Amino acid sequence: MRARAAAAAALASFGILALGWQAGAQSIEASKVVGVTNSATGTAGSASSGSAGSPGSGSSASSGGTTAAGGTTGAGGTSTGSTGSTGSSTSGSGSTSSGSQSSASSGLKNGTFTGATEQTRYGLIQVQIVVSGGKITDVQTPQLTGDDMRSDMINSEAAPILRSEVLQAQSANVDTVSGATYTSEGYLASLQAALNSAHA
Amino acid sequence: MTTALRSADRPAQPPRPRTANGLARTLRQRGRRRLLREDFLTVLAWASGAAAVALYLADGGAGQFNNLTTATTSIGIIAGLVGTDLVLVMLLLAARIPLIDGTVGHDRAMEIHGKLGKPALYLILAHMVFLLIGYGLADRLNPIAEGVSMWNSLPDMWIAFISTVLFILVVVTSLVAVRRRYPYEFWYVVHLLTYAAVLTALPHQFSEGQLFAPGQWQRWYWIVFYLVVLAALLRYRIWAPIALTFRHQLSVTRVVSAGDGAVSIELTGLRLEELSGAGGRFFIWRFLAPGLWWHHHPFSLSADPVAGRLRITVRNLGKGSAALTSVRPGTKVAVSGPYGLFGHAARTRPGLVLVGSGIGITPLRAILERAEFEPGEATVILRASTPETLYLRDEIAELCRQRGATMYELVGQRARHGNPWLPRNQTGLALSDYVPNLRASDVYVCGPKKWTDAVLQDAKSAGLSDEQLHHERFDW
Repeated sequence: MRARAAAAAALASFGILALGWQAGAQSIEASKVVGVTNSATGTAGSASSGSAGSPGSGSSASSGGTTAAGGTTGAGGTSTGSTGSTGSSTSGSGSTSSGSQSSASSGLKNGTFTGATEQTRYGLIQVQIVVSGGKITDVQTPQLTGDDMRSDMINSEAAPILRSEVLQAQSANVDTVSGATYTSEGYLASLQAALNSAHA
Repeated sequence: MTTALRSADRPAQPPRPRTANGLARTLRQRGRRRLLREDFLTVLAWASGAAAVALYLADGGAGQFNNLTTATTSIGIIAGLVGTDLVLVMLLLAARIPLIDGTVGHDRAMEIHGKLGKPALYLILAHMVFLLIGYGLADRLNPIAEGVSMWNSLPDMWIAFISTVLFILVVVTSLVAVRRRYPYEFWYVVHLLTYAAVLTALPHQFSEGQLFAPGQWQRWYWIVFYLVVLAALLRYRIWAPIALTFRHQLSVTRVVSAGDGAVSIELTGLRLEELSGAGGRFFIWRFLAPGLWWHHHPFSLSADPVAGRLRITVRNLGKGSAALTSVRPGTKVAVSGPYGLFGHAARTRPGLVLVGSGIGITPLRAILERAEFEPGEATVILRASTPETLYLRDEIAELCRQRGATMYELVGQRARHGNPWLPRNQTGLALSDYVPNLRASDVYVCGPKKWTDAVLQDAKSAGLSDEQLHHERFDW
């Protein structure tokens, strides 16, 4: 290959690669921002607006800890439209039982709470939790679709792992599943939204 | 029609030489433009490889290198993408596109095509291996179990595995050592499986590949790339030969002996004046007779077309060529071409040196007939082991006399010392001893590979640059 061609080819190739890398880095940044705003609007929509500031911070353990009083005022927070089952035996039994059993008060209302639908790079994820006795007793995924079959496979394998981790940790503060980073991030974002509405 | 006939009836006149300076300037510009095109195509080829990677990075691949599992998967995906790019570039190189052919020549294009074969296969294999490991890590399976699971669960994956096997087959049969052991036709048929390999690789790209998923704009880049390659193949590998065959409607008029073991096949046809000036470049011939039609032969013209007639001169080098010596008059002939850079378009200097050995002499005759040069500026060197294999010697001597070219006949056994392309009785000499203006000349060499290489080496050591050297392989 001639020197001129080699130099031009190297230059063009590096330029194209740099552009690709740049575009990729930007789209990753953008998707992170989108992810956060998604969960924020999701909680604002489904829960009372009082806690709208807190989901931004994202860490569930601390927010659960600080809003210990939330459990007692839970009766007032029944404004969530989608959670029909909140009516029966709300704050009293929930707060008392959890308070007596676990040392850290979870501050969760009893009922079923659904998080926002998260759009990941490979598909859609929506997480639903069932809270009973102040604890997360079940985690479901009403929506879990991959853009292609490989993604479906990854999703269907990651979801049970995430479910058991969440049930164990009783929060969204769990490790992502390796090989399913995008699925995990979407899953946990939606879970966080559900937790936020359970706190409200 | 009448004007066309008249120009065909006119005896082949050498083109009017321009002034020496004018010719030198024209040729220099032509050479410079060709090199510019070559560089441009080189950049384009490399850029397409970079684009394959860049599209993946832009899709978020840039964020996949932070843990072992996703990094392995990413490497696998990139290997597949670059491998696909190489396969498409290889198909373009083999598509006989005039831009590529007229810029780097058919020989060089096929040489690059051949060089890319193994890297492309390695990338495809790496694609498979890395993804099996990467997906296996994610699924906590060993790579083989992962392969089995993918074969069972993903509908397009077994087709993709078949594609891999086909690619292996195509590349292995093209290895020089393997290829030599089987007849050309076997290799050719196996090589056609490339198309099957590419087609069977397609489904999994579009159903499993993230980049090919609907809604991804990168998908369009790949779709357009595939379509361009398909269009080029249809246009230049299928349509062009059919069109040319019907345009010229060639048929054999007679077959005459042209010396030891060689025959000249004369053909008639329509509008043959359009092929004038194609001397040196080769056509692909298919003689439409029982037992012959499925062989194709690359031959150059051995005379510029005159008055509805053209001629090729062939030697019985292989089984196929041997059968040609008995081809019947009236046989219809399918033709495509001309291909290659071994012709006037490749000239860069005012001087002209034509060096041919054995049957490789014959295309030089057609070049000499139409080449632009000033009297005294051209040298023709004919090399043969016996006088009988100085094919077309008399015709060439007559042309040299008319055009003012110097001719040397170098006959005899190969020299033991010095330049190996010379006969023994010329031991100690070099190309520059025959050609006073060698440095200001283009050198055209046609003959057996080793001999050709020796001539080119001699010319290079005389200080000639690559753009001045032109050669045509004649033993493929």
